[in-house]
Amino acid sequence: MDAFIDLYNGFQNALTLHNIYLCFLGCLWGSMVGVLPGIGPLAGITLLIPATYGLDVTGAIIMLAGIYYGAMYGGSTTSILMNIPGESASVVTCLDGYRMTQKGRAGAALFIAAFGSWVGGTLSVLGVMLLAPVLANLATKFGPTEIFALLLVAFLLLGSLGTGSFLKTSAMVILGMLAGTVGMDTLTGVYRFTHGMRDLYDGLGFVPVAMGMFGIGEILSATEQSMVREVYRPRLRELLTNWEEFRASIGPILRGSGIGFFIGLLPGAAHILSSFVSYTVEKRLAKRPEEFGHGRIEGVAGPETANNAATGGAMVPFLSLGIPTTPAIAVIMVALLIHGVRPGPLFISENPKLFWSLIASMYLGNLILVALNLPLIGLFVSLLRVPFRILFPVVLFICLIGTYSINYSSFDLIILLGFGFLGYFFRKLEYDLAPFVLALIIGPLMEEAFRQSLMRSGGSPSIFWQSPIALGFFLIAGVLLGLNIMRGLKSGGRGEKEASSVGS
Amino acid sequence: MKRNRSFIFLIMAGVFSLSLVSANGVKAEFPERPITLINPQAPGGANDALARPFAAVAEKYLGKPVVVVNKPGASGMIGNIAGAQAAPDGYTLTIGSTLMTIVMDWEVINGRKPEVYRNDYVSIGVLSVIPTVLSVPYGSSWKTLADAVREIKGKPSQYTFCSAGLLSPTHLGSERFVRAYGLKCRHVPYKGGGPALTALVGGHADFTTQFSLTSIPLARGNKLRILAVQAPARIKSIPDVPTFKETGMKVENGMWLGLVAPKNTPAPVVEKLREVTAKVTKDPTYVEAIRDLGEEVRSMDGNELAKYWDQESEEISKLLTQFAKEGLKINP
Repeated sequence: MDAFIDLYNGFQNALTLHNIYLCFLGCLWGSMVGVLPGIGPLAGITLLIPATYGLDVTGAIIMLAGIYYGAMYGGSTTSILMNIPGESASVVTCLDGYRMTQKGRAGAALFIAAFGSWVGGTLSVLGVMLLAPVLANLATKFGPTEIFALLLVAFLLLGSLGTGSFLKTSAMVILGMLAGTVGMDTLTGVYRFTHGMRDLYDGLGFVPVAMGMFGIGEILSATEQSMVREVYRPRLRELLTNWEEFRASIGPILRGSGIGFFIGLLPGAAHILSSFVSYTVEKRLAKRPEEFGHGRIEGVAGPETANNAATGGAMVPFLSLGIPTTPAIAVIMVALLIHGVRPGPLFISENPKLFWSLIASMYLGNLILVALNLPLIGLFVSLLRVPFRILFPVVLFICLIGTYSINYSSFDLIILLGFGFLGYFFRKLEYDLAPFVLALIIGPLMEEAFRQSLMRSGGSPSIFWQSPIALGFFLIAGVLLGLNIMRGLKSGGRGEKEASSVGS
Repeated sequence: MKRNRSFIFLIMAGVFSLSLVSANGVKAEFPERPITLINPQAPGGANDALARPFAAVAEKYLGKPVVVVNKPGASGMIGNIAGAQAAPDGYTLTIGSTLMTIVMDWEVINGRKPEVYRNDYVSIGVLSVIPTVLSVPYGSSWKTLADAVREIKGKPSQYTFCSAGLLSPTHLGSERFVRAYGLKCRHVPYKGGGPALTALVGGHADFTTQFSLTSIPLARGNKLRILAVQAPARIKSIPDVPTFKETGMKVENGMWLGLVAPKNTPAPVVEKLREVTAKVTKDPTYVEAIRDLGEEVRSMDGNELAKYWDQESEEISKLLTQFAKEGLKINP
């Protein structure tokens, strides 16, 4: 029960007017960078570091952490309303979120995204509070071998992301992995497909590609439709999630919290992976998975919860080991260093006041965020009434600025537009974009982990079955593969029952 | 690209002519506006860990803020080039470091001409030199450097070390150790110091050399054990850990981080910047911030840096030449 006494003291610290104000400021700014496409938590935090120079360390970390988890709230907004991922972790939210908007359920989608974010965020803070030291050791147990095994499971789940034929989905997965090979191979230093262009040395950026394919592609295909689109006037009742939708979302939200928190512990693209894994798990568990991709609320609730829960998970290695696993957290760490606090394994025991104030502020921040976002739903939905000839050029403009602001690179704009056209053509040919975009992330990570494992073992594949954790994941992967084959043999027969035993 | 550049040029020309006017009008004191400090690395690294405290303190002496802008990409070359080609007026500085030496000299060794080189900058000063330290997982049976050397010697090519990336200073640190003692080990690069340290703590590598400021907190928390320091003298916050030199073999490695300006920056501006940098590195707030990292400030002035840089380049070139001969190819 010590934790609760500490937490009580933490609340006493966090609940000063000054700190509440800073928490609010961080959450507000975080929501904004989340809503604006391209500008993510990394840029948001980096921009505000100078503003923390004059603050005390507690205030500084409360504010910066607020930006970090706040950005995950805002990210879903443009995904749902315009099919443009506001933040890289909200790519999968586009799939069903945007369909819901087209069906006139934008308000419901935004509501469940905010509600799920709150549950996921709050549960993950609880996880950090109670389990941080224990889980930190677990996180370090995940070496390249274990990560490879986990990614293999994720890779097999990619197949279930498509709405079209298996062949078309596979083609997109392979193309995505190929696109992921562009750039310098970090393990040997070989340059692949760079054609001597310096801008390609670091590969194709995820944000320009994802935003191009989804966002710019959407804008391009919108130009095909008649300029006068049906103006949609929602009534207040329609803004909210109805009881049926809410009930359907409870499971995904709870599972999403667990998935997000766990994947958040691991280094790599935790936020993107967590939302995507949550989506595919929900799809596998669903009674009618064929409805996913056509506006199922579970496809919004799960991933949006998961990417918020991942923020808590990612805090664990940072707070209990002093090792940042995401770039945004690395920047928060620098801000702490400026204030003379050095995160490390002794951070919690040496700075209990700071730690518990942060935890308390995160509970508070999640409340602030949900209070901030719910009233805005009506406003956001009414944005849809803006004629498309005005809205879309503005959105295009924001996409360009957002992309440019990441690296100040005009080449990224070319990538954005190029992949925008590509996305448009894929859409015309009825290929799914999500498998491409996620393979772009998972492919290189998987390759790296696989080769790091073999470099460690000196080329012997035995390293893969010497690790019990990896073995466990391989087993899951095997079952998934077997199920897929069985389902294939039955040619679209009912394999969902068996599938439901896998994800649980 | 072309149009873009001429556009930037136009803006620059506009800004420049404005500053000329004011320079002629009233005898203005440098700096009149905020100074941009280009960090050629991604946010959150060691560069930021020193540059941000510097920026926070420098405003006191400059009267104008220093704005750190991260321009990462192509192993730092994108930021390096932007910094070297900026208007030489002292308003755009770049974080120079050992990373710059490595990426540029690697090009030279492989018979290519890097787009910008050391002599395209003028040295302002060093914020600090961060040494690397040799560490093993806390549970490792290697308790001393001698243990490690004996074990590795007994089983050549059986042990692995991890690094923050190919040709990073943390890679060079281990290579310097391994080569000095005539050992053979396998190298597993990770993407950055954080992942490399996580791998070491989890026992996914047998040893590593990482920066003192990232390793010391983990050592204090019994997550890893530091066997030896790759600095000329012991580090104050870990007084029990010997240097390599004390154990018989001089293996030194680390990374300096400092400020550099485009080469044609006017001498009075360079003087002013050098003076401010020297003041900042002696400022109690800055010294305190670095001490909290578990480090002492090892600063240098502009002239010392210029000399040190040449010497470092020579040493690193030797090592890189060996790598190239052994077949390491990092060629675009």
